[in-house]
Amino acid sequence: MAFAAASSSAATARTSAQPDLAFRIPSNPPKFAKFTPSISRRSPPISCKMAATAVDKELDAETLQRPDAFGRFGRFGGKYVPETLMAALTELEAAFNSLATDHEFQKELDGILKDYVGRESPLYFAERLTEHYKRHDGTGPHVYLKREDLNHTGAHKINNAVAQALLAKRLGKKRIIAETGAGQHGVATATVCARFGLECIIYMGAQDMERQALNVFRMRLLGAEVKPVHSGTATLKDATSEAIRDWVTNVETTHYILGSVAGPHPYPMMVREFHKVIGQETRKQALEKWGGKPDVIVACIGGGSNAMGIFHEFVEDEGVRLIGVEAAGLGLDSGKHAATLTKGEIGVLHGAMSYLLQDEDGQIIEPHSISAGLDYPGVGPEHSFLKDLGRAEYHSITDEEALEAFKRLSRLEGIIPALETSHALAYLEKLCPTLPDGTKVVLNCSGRGDKDVNTAINYLKL
Amino acid sequence: MSLQTLSPHHSISLPSPNPNHSNGLGFDWPLRSVRHEGFKVCSVMSRDTRTQTQTQTQTQARKTDVLRLIDEAEESLFRTGKFGRFGGIFVPETLVTCLKMLLSEFNLCMHDPLFQGELSAALRDYVGRETPLYFAQRLTDHYKSSRGGEGPDIYLKREDLNHGGAHKINNALAQAMLAKRMGRRSVVAATGAGQHGVATAAACAKLAMECTIIMGNLDMERQSSNVLLMKHLGAEVKSVPGTFKDATSEAIREWVGDLERKYYLAGTAVGPHPCPAMVREFQSIIGIETRRQAMEKWGGKPDVLVACVGSGSNALGMFHEFVRDEDVRLIGVEAAGTGMDGETHSATLAKGEIGVYHGAMTYLLQDHEGQIIGPHSVGVGLEYPGVSPELSFMREITRAEFHTATDEEALDAYALLCRLEGICPALEAAHALAHLGKLCPTLPDGAKVVVNCSGRGDKDIETVSKYQQLKNGSVSDRNKSNHPTKTTSNVVNI
Repeated sequence: MAFAAASSSAATARTSAQPDLAFRIPSNPPKFAKFTPSISRRSPPISCKMAATAVDKELDAETLQRPDAFGRFGRFGGKYVPETLMAALTELEAAFNSLATDHEFQKELDGILKDYVGRESPLYFAERLTEHYKRHDGTGPHVYLKREDLNHTGAHKINNAVAQALLAKRLGKKRIIAETGAGQHGVATATVCARFGLECIIYMGAQDMERQALNVFRMRLLGAEVKPVHSGTATLKDATSEAIRDWVTNVETTHYILGSVAGPHPYPMMVREFHKVIGQETRKQALEKWGGKPDVIVACIGGGSNAMGIFHEFVEDEGVRLIGVEAAGLGLDSGKHAATLTKGEIGVLHGAMSYLLQDEDGQIIEPHSISAGLDYPGVGPEHSFLKDLGRAEYHSITDEEALEAFKRLSRLEGIIPALETSHALAYLEKLCPTLPDGTKVVLNCSGRGDKDVNTAINYLKL
Repeated sequence: MSLQTLSPHHSISLPSPNPNHSNGLGFDWPLRSVRHEGFKVCSVMSRDTRTQTQTQTQTQARKTDVLRLIDEAEESLFRTGKFGRFGGIFVPETLVTCLKMLLSEFNLCMHDPLFQGELSAALRDYVGRETPLYFAQRLTDHYKSSRGGEGPDIYLKREDLNHGGAHKINNALAQAMLAKRMGRRSVVAATGAGQHGVATAAACAKLAMECTIIMGNLDMERQSSNVLLMKHLGAEVKSVPGTFKDATSEAIREWVGDLERKYYLAGTAVGPHPCPAMVREFQSIIGIETRRQAMEKWGGKPDVLVACVGSGSNALGMFHEFVRDEDVRLIGVEAAGTGMDGETHSATLAKGEIGVYHGAMTYLLQDHEGQIIGPHSVGVGLEYPGVSPELSFMREITRAEFHTATDEEALDAYALLCRLEGICPALEAAHALAHLGKLCPTLPDGAKVVVNCSGRGDKDIETVSKYQQLKNGSVSDRNKSNHPTKTTSNVVNI
């Protein structure tokens, strides 16, 4: 996707701002260091300095609006998009705001979440996992899993997909588009379009389509049209560009279902709002189970939607520690990872100011993770904000540690987690020894791992 | 003990004790059903006046008669292990003690509030119950559209949303908890489609028990994704030649070889008493929830319940709650495979005859020599030559009706539900959904139909993909068989 300048995407990608204006970027592009809107270490723009000063005065999650009227979380977020899309985004924001107070809409959505998606998802006390983390003296934290893996389609993604499809219907849009990498978001989108009888077009890189043939078939069976994208590296970034191009062209009839808390305002806010049910249920269930709040909440971070979904409810509860876990891939020093908040720098990607993995020339660094869902070079702007505020802490876990955690939960609890979720689970190895006896840890089990059994088996040699 | 219920002046010839048998017990297990020189087993049974005779039940029972029969069966069940003349404990003597102990433990835990509390909590927090009763608007509209907007309202009981992806876990978890309570450390189970294997492996992992899953090699090929899941969950997966029925025989054999340590976790409502009753009890949560949800949603009961029938666990789980509600129609749908004319189907209640199989008297698919006919279906979980004795009973007293759906109809139903509701059902459940095509045109406007969506269909995506490719291929291919290659086996039941 290239809401911002073309130079911010990979060197061989096609630009996408207007359909007729596509031009090839040569394989050795000229350096745009002085021009690029993404901020490099050597030349911080004046505007960011001013923004930084302004934010210093309000380092307070409680008083700062998340987001403000411009879609900013502090200095992050915003709407870095071509003029053509501004109207659509404004319309979307207005529609969302009005529906947030529309009882009929809320009632319909609640009914669908209950009967179709299968909410509320349980808060499960992982007895054997807790036992595993007990120290020699028998003390240790209590580990609970928020079971988003039990949702229809097997992940948290459907919460947002279902709500956006309903929103699109309210807006009178009959056509839905989305992009997908490994296919999970595509399948979730195709699922809800089938449910609501909406036309569905999924853009997928041709290379990804080959690797994920069954997911492609699944989407088609669900009635979606899967359009192969051959440009660039024929993967997710290129599929995103195509999706944007489509949206720009068909904005009157079409709604773009963005799968995470990234992108231009109002998407980060909207997607968070549609996932916040996770945190709301957790609060209620925690009260029922132990009469209190969680002490620590842990979630994996790709774009950041499942984490925002569980964090949001507790951001203003200072006593609740919020921990996000990114993918360290082959190691933070290997250059093959997706640890945006640890290793990234601030810039604009996909329409929002946020941390992102970029080189000195502001070119996107190709991320790597064994799990497709965490394989994203950016991160939701709200996470960037929470990091800078110090409200949330962000760590990273390698592929190998994630695979170990995948195996551990399968063997100890009979729950096969998604490889994405396994990153959060792996962090428990480092976290639990530091926690006092009886600390309540809630981990967002964001998805099930049926889709990953083949990947894992190669590594785990079963 | 095992032959007490048969009248003395006939014989069902059994294989003579074989002292060389590997398990050292001197018996082959399970028993083979054999005809006695021109007499069919069922006509022999009809001389037993202590149970309901075939002649009597063939006359159209008045409604109160049906209720009386059900009450009688329920009353005698725990004493005799029989549903009318079906069921029983046709096992070698060595196993009788074990089964009696199992029965008494089962009775104890059913009345133990602590056990029930733990089980409820596990069903809620681990399995994800209660499962929703979902109004399938677009599916309903689809069937209404061919009748000018009139037709039944179709609801799906979403057992596909359970942990593990099917209803199997309701029973697997409860029995694993029972096994643990009995002090067993190791569980052995047989699985067909793999769902019961996955559920058992998951439950054993959670309860820190050893787990051995036995699966037929033909099934392992067709449901390979489930095999991977079981291995990830820490189970040992053993292959035997054949399919589910062969796996079941082997699992029971393994159990018999180590009765002190091992627990045989029956996945479905077949086998010797108390297995069918136990499995039915643990699955009956499905029907109990459905009753309450129906009351909440439309202030009444379902008019029709539809479920697929392999051995019968999901059907019984749904039906049991409503068996005394005579205004609720109970419909089971079996697998007609590639067609009812040949032998490539699994329609036991439609085409079977009564005999003894895996320890119980029930309908089964057998040839004129009493050899088991290897069943076939694209829904691997429906491939069982026998059926629950309780369903055999319900068929006999005409409390439930049984129909069939072919492979093709099921595959088309799978695709239809995907397209209309974004739900991919298991191919087994798709058989129940396929029957809606015949059922809905006959129902009055607004009738409430509840279909048990017993599992999700991720495991079947490859099968469906191949079928669609063949279907969209050359026209000449349409007349050929459209399902993956499967050899039917006339394996002697040992």
